[in-house]
Amino acid sequence: MSATGIAAPEAPSWPARLLRGIRHDPWSAIAWATVAFMLVFVAWPLAELARQSFIGQESGRFGLENYQTFFGSSYFRRALFNSLTVGVLGTVIALAIGLPLALAFARYDFAGKPWIEVAILLSMLSPPFVGAYAWIMLFGRSGLVTEAARGIGIELPPIYGAFGIALASAFALYPVVFLVVRGGLARVNRTLEDAAASLGRGRIGVVRTVTLPLILPSVLTAALLVFLGIISDFGTPSILGEGERFPVLATLAFSLYLSEIGAEPGMAATTCAVLVVIAMALVVAVRIFSTRRSVADDTGGGAPPIRLQGRAGALLGFGTAVLVAIASTPQIVVTVCSFLEVRGVVFQPVFTLDNFARAIDALGDALWNSLVFAGLALALIILVGSAIGYVIARRTGPLTRTLDLLIMVPYVVPGTVLGIGYATVFNEPPLLLTGTATIIVTVYFVRRLPYMTRASAGIVYQIDRGLEDAARSLGDPPLTGFRRVMAPLMRPGILAGAAIAWVEVFSELSASIVLYTGGTRTLPIAAYQQALSGDVGMAAAYATMLVGVAAAGLVLFVIARGSERERSLGWL
Amino acid sequence: MSVAETRPGPAPHLAAAGLVKRFGSFTALDRVELSAQRGELLTLLGPSGCGKTTLLRVIAGFLQHDEGTLRLAGRSLDGTPPEARNFGMVFQSYAIFPHLSVAENVAYGLRARRVPREAAERKVAAALERVRLGNLGARYPDALSGGQKQRVGLARAMVIEPDLLLMDEPLSNLDAKLRIEMRDEIRRMQRELGITTIYVTHDQEEALAISDRIAVMERGHIRQFATPREVFESPAHAFVAEFVGGCNWLDATLLQDGAGAAARIGAGAAFALPAATRGAEGPARAALRTEDLRLATPEDPPGCCLEGRVGSLAYLGPRTRMRVIIGPGDAAVEADLPSALPLPNEGEPVRLSFEPHRLRVFAPESGVRIA
Ligand SMILES: Nc1ncnc2c1ncn2[C@@H]1O[C@H](COP(=O)(O)OP(=O)(O)O)[C@@H](O)[C@H]1O
Ligand SMILES: [Mg+2]
Repeated sequence: MSATGIAAPEAPSWPARLLRGIRHDPWSAIAWATVAFMLVFVAWPLAELARQSFIGQESGRFGLENYQTFFGSSYFRRALFNSLTVGVLGTVIALAIGLPLALAFARYDFAGKPWIEVAILLSMLSPPFVGAYAWIMLFGRSGLVTEAARGIGIELPPIYGAFGIALASAFALYPVVFLVVRGGLARVNRTLEDAAASLGRGRIGVVRTVTLPLILPSVLTAALLVFLGIISDFGTPSILGEGERFPVLATLAFSLYLSEIGAEPGMAATTCAVLVVIAMALVVAVRIFSTRRSVADDTGGGAPPIRLQGRAGALLGFGTAVLVAIASTPQIVVTVCSFLEVRGVVFQPVFTLDNFARAIDALGDALWNSLVFAGLALALIILVGSAIGYVIARRTGPLTRTLDLLIMVPYVVPGTVLGIGYATVFNEPPLLLTGTATIIVTVYFVRRLPYMTRASAGIVYQIDRGLEDAARSLGDPPLTGFRRVMAPLMRPGILAGAAIAWVEVFSELSASIVLYTGGTRTLPIAAYQQALSGDVGMAAAYATMLVGVAAAGLVLFVIARGSERERSLGWL
Repeated sequence: MSVAETRPGPAPHLAAAGLVKRFGSFTALDRVELSAQRGELLTLLGPSGCGKTTLLRVIAGFLQHDEGTLRLAGRSLDGTPPEARNFGMVFQSYAIFPHLSVAENVAYGLRARRVPREAAERKVAAALERVRLGNLGARYPDALSGGQKQRVGLARAMVIEPDLLLMDEPLSNLDAKLRIEMRDEIRRMQRELGITTIYVTHDQEEALAISDRIAVMERGHIRQFATPREVFESPAHAFVAEFVGGCNWLDATLLQDGAGAAARIGAGAAFALPAATRGAEGPARAALRTEDLRLATPEDPPGCCLEGRVGSLAYLGPRTRMRVIIGPGDAAVEADLPSALPLPNEGEPVRLSFEPHRLRVFAPESGVRIA
């Protein structure tokens, strides 16, 4: 909209004109500044990686040499195959858990529902690699269950490799399926289902012929998010794949990058490029499919859930609780074990704080770094994200579309790739950032900004434009009106988005593992390193600290939200 | 309010000349001319999508026009952002700040103007009193009805003593009865305070009831800008005749004979046009309102009237709407006749007559009034 930006006819010099323009239309200035930032911190590193992927590792010539090497070598092909296998398998498992839960929650009320929901959301608190580590504690070579089974003469299959990674990833990511599909179900017009039933379809028939086709777009979206999450994940395959034994693209890119430091990162860049191309292709495919069969129907979807009493309700409650309990087991095991005494690599049934004592001794600056980096990044995410979300929701045009696109790129690009890109381009003046706290905060910010812009745009879409016009007509310049009207109305949604962003930022591993140096080690890195090859007790203690601090932050957000005067804003 | 009295003068308070607003290649406003005298209530009337909101937003400063001038009290408004124009706005969606109480809503503009607290409180109380919400200052908007919300909107816009009050379909979301009540109230307050007002509506009855002058808009053009009576009684454009009141449309041919100009309806009778109509010849469109037609009596000479057959009758209480097929083909007119009269039955022949000066003739392409 060309709403503002009224040029002053008598403006004397260009700085004065610029200032005046910014005052009249600060949003365009903010959008331009963000685009510039994103070009430097998203487009440039990725473009550089893309360029290097075309520079032959051997010959140094521009061409497809690296790609020929990649697809010609069984080693690289295996990593690609592993990534795809783990991705598909994990997605199927996550759907198998998440879909029934979503259906049950969207359609029925039953005993224990709120508690089960809290448990599901809590399981999003811990980063996937913590879950992976927990699986090793249970089913690893000397895991609790493995040992117990061996005691009665049963040899369990190993948890390492494709199945273990898929399972651990699925248990970490099924809440995504649950949330997205439940949201989709809430938007399905219930009268359509009633119509199908009145036309003589049984309950299963209605689900198959009406409900499933209608929620297919949200199921696809959920599947996409899970798949992207799995193939982008670095920690889980690294821990459960035992490094080189079961390489996937993300871990391969990382080890190639480490071994190529100083040299041209040709093959690392190529691996990154393959990973990104797969991710982008899937996103585009799902986009095209979803828009082609858009079933948006806003004619009131939200019929209240049906209350299941008696046996049916108890059964459903029990079933979902068991499902969620299984999924939460790893987290519970890690937490409990962190308080147990360790002898050798075996936990003893004796409670102690010993693990924490040792962990804190070895912690160094890791916790402090994490708090500072994540705190700074979160502050930036909240400020910039809510402003940009507002711009995206309120302005249309090429500038906004470019901005939206640039911001969403890191949502799809695996953290390891972004990390390698940063390490590649920001290692010389004028932007010599490698080894600094700035680079970690920046990568945190860039990776999790999309959560906030989406959350805030979503809220702004629901707020009557007239409110801003009213504020302006009553005498407030744009930013003042934003502060007095939009900010208070957006606050609850921003807090919700910020809570999620906090957990994600605080437990970020896959980019920071590439970029950290001795002085910028963070808590997730410490936890990962102990889990990979360290003291089992300390690893459990770090994992518990990680989840504990993330949860503490979350509680703060919940309190902040609760202390807002609770008022039902009809359209919020 | 004081503004209106302290700056007398014959020049219009608000003057828009040659306003053009384009969205890409689409012209939303095309050479719009508009002026409002101090204290006047002026209505923009037109169907949805004709550019009313666009014009209002250009005046408010939310949109920048591409051509033309916009002046308030003789000074150009170019380069003055909305927040500096001191125009009050009332919205169809009410746009009441949901996080502020009623009193805080009304005080919003006063705070932006840094009015001292006590003075602000006094003004807010008076404004709420004026819209009869004196006891609801502490309430929050979610506990208000639509009508009450719009009263808050009015109080909030008026309390800043705006130089211009802009209202965009303020009553469209209210039910019919409340709409009539509120429009009378708006008119009363507007008169009392002498606030120059631009009021947007697509409801012709509302426009006729409330306005000093009406600008009838179609596809970005102002087709007529005149008093409600003029707009209704002598529409300057075919669109105005159709939109305000509705018409029977008849194909006509303009003739010049010895006696002056005349219009032949279809292949039938020719009707003399006022002496002022000179020179026009050829096809035209003639309009007759349903209430201008009556049953011809035997005294009416042949050739004076529209002749046809009764197609259908619809009883509407005091009046009955008769559809008369006058041919050729299925060309028809509708006439509203007093139900008390003895009326012919369906299928029977009928003759309708009218006062010749009620026949309005428009150019076929441009829609401009010829006679
Ligand atoms: N920001 C915009 N961009 C493009 N077209 C617009 C925009 N705003 C309005 N229009 C178009 O201008 C025309 C007039 O719109 P509007 O002024 O809202 O009509 P009204 O208020 O009379 O219903 C419509 O055809 C509308 O689609
Ligand atoms: Mg409008």
